[in-house]
Order: sequence, then structure tokens, then C-alpha cells
Amino acid sequence: MENVTVVCFLASYAVALALELVRLVKRVPVRRAVMLLFAAAGFVAHTTYLVVRSRQTELPPLLSSTQDWMLVLAWLALVFYLVLTLVDRDLAVGLFLLPLVLVLIGASYFVSGEPNALVAGSNGAGAAEGVVRRWALLHAALLVFGIGGVMLGFVSSLMYLVQHRRLKQQQTLLAGLQLPSLERLARLNWWAVIVSVPLLTLGMGTGIGLALYSRRAFATVSLADPVIVANGVLWLVMVAFFVWLLRTERPAGKQVAWLTIWAFGFLVLTLFGTELLPTWHAAAKEISVRE
Amino acid sequence: MIVQVVYCTHQTTGLDVREKLAFSSTDQLARAYRRLRADFPRSDVVLLSTCNRVELYTVQEDPQDAPTPEQLARFLSEFHHVPQDQFLSDLLRQTGRDAVRHLFQVVSSLDSMVLGEPQIVNQVKEAYRVAIDNEACGVLTNALFQGAIRVSKRVRSETRLAEGRVSIASVAVGEFAKSIFDRFDDKRVLVLGAGEMAEETLRYLQAEGARHITVVNRSFDRAARLAAEFGAVPRPLDDLDDCLAEADLIVSATGAGLPVVDAERFGRIRARSGEKPVFVLDLGAPRDFAPAVGHLDENVFLYDIDHLRTTCERNRVARAQEIEKARAIIDEEADRFMHDVYHQATGPIIKRLRDEWHDVRAEEVDRLFAKLAHLDERDRREIERAIERIINKLLHPPLEALRDEARSGTPHGLMDALKRLFGIGD
Repeated sequence: MENVTVVCFLASYAVALALELVRLVKRVPVRRAVMLLFAAAGFVAHTTYLVVRSRQTELPPLLSSTQDWMLVLAWLALVFYLVLTLVDRDLAVGLFLLPLVLVLIGASYFVSGEPNALVAGSNGAGAAEGVVRRWALLHAALLVFGIGGVMLGFVSSLMYLVQHRRLKQQQTLLAGLQLPSLERLARLNWWAVIVSVPLLTLGMGTGIGLALYSRRAFATVSLADPVIVANGVLWLVMVAFFVWLLRTERPAGKQVAWLTIWAFGFLVLTLFGTELLPTWHAAAKEISVRE
Repeated sequence: MIVQVVYCTHQTTGLDVREKLAFSSTDQLARAYRRLRADFPRSDVVLLSTCNRVELYTVQEDPQDAPTPEQLARFLSEFHHVPQDQFLSDLLRQTGRDAVRHLFQVVSSLDSMVLGEPQIVNQVKEAYRVAIDNEACGVLTNALFQGAIRVSKRVRSETRLAEGRVSIASVAVGEFAKSIFDRFDDKRVLVLGAGEMAEETLRYLQAEGARHITVVNRSFDRAARLAAEFGAVPRPLDDLDDCLAEADLIVSATGAGLPVVDAERFGRIRARSGEKPVFVLDLGAPRDFAPAVGHLDENVFLYDIDHLRTTCERNRVARAQEIEKARAIIDEEADRFMHDVYHQATGPIIKRLRDEWHDVRAEEVDRLFAKLAHLDERDRREIERAIERIINKLLHPPLEALRDEARSGTPHGLMDALKRLFGIGD
């Protein structure tokens, strides 16, 4: 099991994506079965990798490192892809989800793979460490699921725009590019935003709580931390979007789709931008090392 | 006899031209027939005008009487006030067996945009009925169109062309409306028009789950009749703007000569209804919705007949085997029809030739037997048989030549030669 590497499932997903692309060119009888086989093989390798990492660091995957929770996000997207593809054999959702999965896995190479020091150093220690660990897990889980929701909104928005363009230009269905109806995609997008914003809010709330508690316990965390500030801005943007969605009686699907894409872009910028800044997590790590 | 068809169809001509050449109302058709009868008094004429085609069939006993394609193009140009250069290059012409075969293909829906669509049979029947009403049909045209309707029945019963998506509405809804809406039971559907196309659309939409259907038509009585049949709500034409504002799906199939809804009018309606997604299927030719309506905002999805071409072509490829079967039936029926027609033309000549020669034989045999009274019954029979055989052998080459010639058309020249050579009068 320890021999499973990121390359194993990255390669499997790349083959699955290539087979998804084949559907645009021609109908091959065994394509779907082979594609699902590769995706499933990648999924098994992916799951195994996360389990092994979790055992090695003695932390849940969400808390191990930024790299791990990005892999968790990719894993969630893959679950979504497998379920949808098994339910509807004609749906071309893989053409949109698999590239995202590959980008997430690829991007995980460029972020820290070190276990989160704040929780890594609190394994079963005193009561304060136990609280930090539980809150950190909740904080990370809420944020990851919230980001997953925005990601889902992003994918459904992309599909919406492709479908909308086809319908507006009176183009016939491209063989192999079967997409859900605009109505369904708009609904999916709406729900993705409506669900992800409270999750992000709670994630932010638990994060602030964690920061305050950590400051009291370890005196290391500042609310002016770039991660907190950037995530705060992201949260404000998402809340503004959320409020607009709820207040608009019949929001135009295309407008919602574009806003979701912008929100996702801002989210990506925030996540990766903060990786470049000196962060609370880094500070915590340094403290942990000093101790 | 010569059968001729001059036509333009969806395969060669865009809707923008077809709609200019279309004959959309009974009044317009009556005027066209009056003009055609005046211009070509010795020709039978049938006008077939649908959303997919405009076709002029002419049938004459004498090829000299047949209107030329140029004359028919001039008629179309002058009647519709459309310059010939806008459509002349799109006009096609078939004659004789090819024209018959073309009609058989049309009526069997092989030439339709939607393969297997049933409406075309009724459209051909209606065109034929209107031609009869306008006294533009004769015996040969009757035989041609009745034969065509028989062929369409045979194609439907012996092939599987009529299975699957066989209406324009089903193709449009399947290809586009289902990509906009998830379901139809909570949508408001407006059907504009109360003709056969509207009925077909209603039937399909109801089968797809549509529950809130409104029918609007110029004649409220017709709208009410159609609505009653499908459990829909009829509304007068005066309520059209309200109905358009409420509708999520609009299917229009009127016989109006000009667009019923222009961009300005629909723009006002959109201002009232908000920018909710609306699917507009315009099955009219001429179109009922101005093309600019589709550009009003991001959520107006407007489709006309020609937008369905690619989908229909794909369906056609998928059913190539059935098309081949249908073509074989049509070829066989076209051959049979032509054979019957030519046989009818040569039949009287053959009969008269035979009768005259046998009369001569009978006369000469009687004269011979009167002189040879000593012959017994057996000898007389042998002599009669010998003369009969001689006559048959002499008649065989010219009659066989006539039959051979008749396979490729009415052999007017040979028939005239036989009449002169053997002294057969009219």
C-alpha cells in the first residue's frame, strides 16, 4: 500500500479523461467500460494514498497538510464524477470534472506537504491540544466542503455556459456531449452556492474561534494573519453573492453562472495566493518547532 | 403524357427564400390556380406548398403543351413579386418517371426534413383536393396523386420509417426544448395556430407531460375545437400578448403570410414577463416570429424549421436501411405507374390495329369459304388457324416495338407512324 503514489491515480485519471474526449470524436463500444475501469482504479489508488498518508501522519487527511486536503477535494470531485457517470451513461460530466480533478492533483505538488504543525504537535497531549485538534478538524472539513460546493457550482456553471451557447446558436447536440438541461444546471448551481456559503461561513467562524483560542493557549495566532484576511474577503464576496441570489426573484442563469465562475476564480486566487504569504499555519509550525 | 415537377425544397433552398415563394392561404392558392389555368390552359396543375417545399406539378397529354421551367419560374416571380434571381438557381425540375418518383418520395416522407413524418400525406392530399376544387386536375393527375397516396401507405406498412421521432415538434422539443427545461408539467405552453401541425405538436407535448396548454388562433372556433380535444385552454387572438408573456414554450404554426410577432412587440412582452427562459419553435413558412426576436435577450431561444436540419440529417443516417427499403418500393411503384400510363396511351392503338386486321381476316376467310364450298369443317378450321397465325406473326413486330418504346415514355412518334402505315383513324 505504501507504494501507491500520486502519479498512480493522476495517470489513471488522465487516461479516463482521454477516453472521455474520445466520445467527442467517435463511438467506441468498450470506451465507457474501460474509462470507468481507469477512473475506479485511480479512485482506489487515491483512497489508498490518503489512508496511508493519514496513518503516517496520525492525522485525518484534512488536517495533514494543504497538499492532502487538495487531494481530498479531488477525491470528492471524483466521487461526484463516478456517481453521475454511473447514473447517466450519456452525461458528459467527466469532460468538465476530470480536468478539475487533474488540476487539483497537479496543484497539490506545489503546496506544502508538511503536516499542519498546529495540530501535528497536539497529538493526544493536553486538553488544550485536544480542543485545537477537534476544532481544526471541524474548521478544515467545513472549508473543504464549502470549497467543494463552490467547485461544483463552477463545473455546473461551465456546463451551463456551454449548453447555453449551443442553444442560443441553434446548434445541434454534439455527439458525445450530452449535458443536463439549463434548468437543472441553474438549479444545481443555485444549490451549490446556497449550501457552500453557510459552510464557508461556519468554516470561517470556527477558524476565527480556533485562532482566538490558539492565541489564548499558545499566543501565536493573529487575526491580521494574511490567510484570515484573504479568507475573510473571500467570505464577504461569497456572502454578497449569496444574498444577491436569495434576494433576486428569478436570477438569470447565465449571470449566475458567470458570477459563480468569478467566485471560483477568486477562491482559487485566495487559496493559492495565501500559500505564498507568511501564514498563521507557518507561524504555528515555527512555534511548534521551537517548543 | 408528360409529368413535370418544378420545385424548391429545404434541401436546396433556405427558409428565407421558401417563405417568399410559399402559398400560405386558400385565397392565395385560388388566385394562383386562376392564373395558372389562364397561362397554361392545356395543363393539369397541382401546387404543393408546405414548410419544407414549394412544388408545381404539371401533367399534359401532349408534351408540346408542357409549360417550360422558365415559364413556371416567371409565374412564381410575378405572383409573389420576388425577382427571379433570388430563387432561379435553387429551382429544380424533374420530368417523366423521375417526376413521378419524386412525388412518391415526397408523399412517403423520404424527402421530408423529418423522416417518416405523417403530416406530408395529408398535406399532399390537401394540395390535391384544392387543385380539384380549382378545376386544375384531370384524369392523369388523379391517377398520379391517388397512386402517390397508395404508395405512401405501402411504404408505411412495409418499412419502419414511421417509428420513433417522426414530427418536427418531436425533433425540436427533443433536441432543444429538453436541453432548456427539465420537465414540461410545470411549464406554460402556448400553441399558436390550429392546423394539422399545431395538432401534431399538441399531441407530442401532451405525451411529454405538458399540462398547462393554451391554444390561440385567428379563428377562435377552431382554437376551441382543438383545445377541447387536448384539454387545453382556447384564447382569442386579442389575448396573444398576455399569452406570450405567460408562456415558457411557444410553438407557432400559423398560415400567416407575414410575421405575427416582430421584435418590437416581443420586446414589450419580455419587458412585462421578465427574462425567464422561453423556447420559441416557429414552424410557420413564412415564419411567424421575426428572426430578430431570438436576439432580444439571453433567454429567448428561437428555432425555425431550418435549425432542425442537422438533427434530421443525423436521424436519416441512422435509418439508412429503412430508406433503402422505401426507395426500392418507390422505384417499383414508379415503374408500375409509368407502365400503366403508357399502356393506357398505347392500348387503344393496339386494340384498333388488332380489331382492324381481324376484321380483314374474317372478311377474307368468309369470301374464301364461299368460293370453296366443298371444304369440310376440319379444313376450314385449319385454314382459319393458319391465317390467324399469319396475322399474329405480322402484327407481332410493330406491337412489340410499341411496347418497347412505351417503357420509356408515351411513344407518340411510333403511334403516329402506325396510324399512318396501317390507316388507323382517330
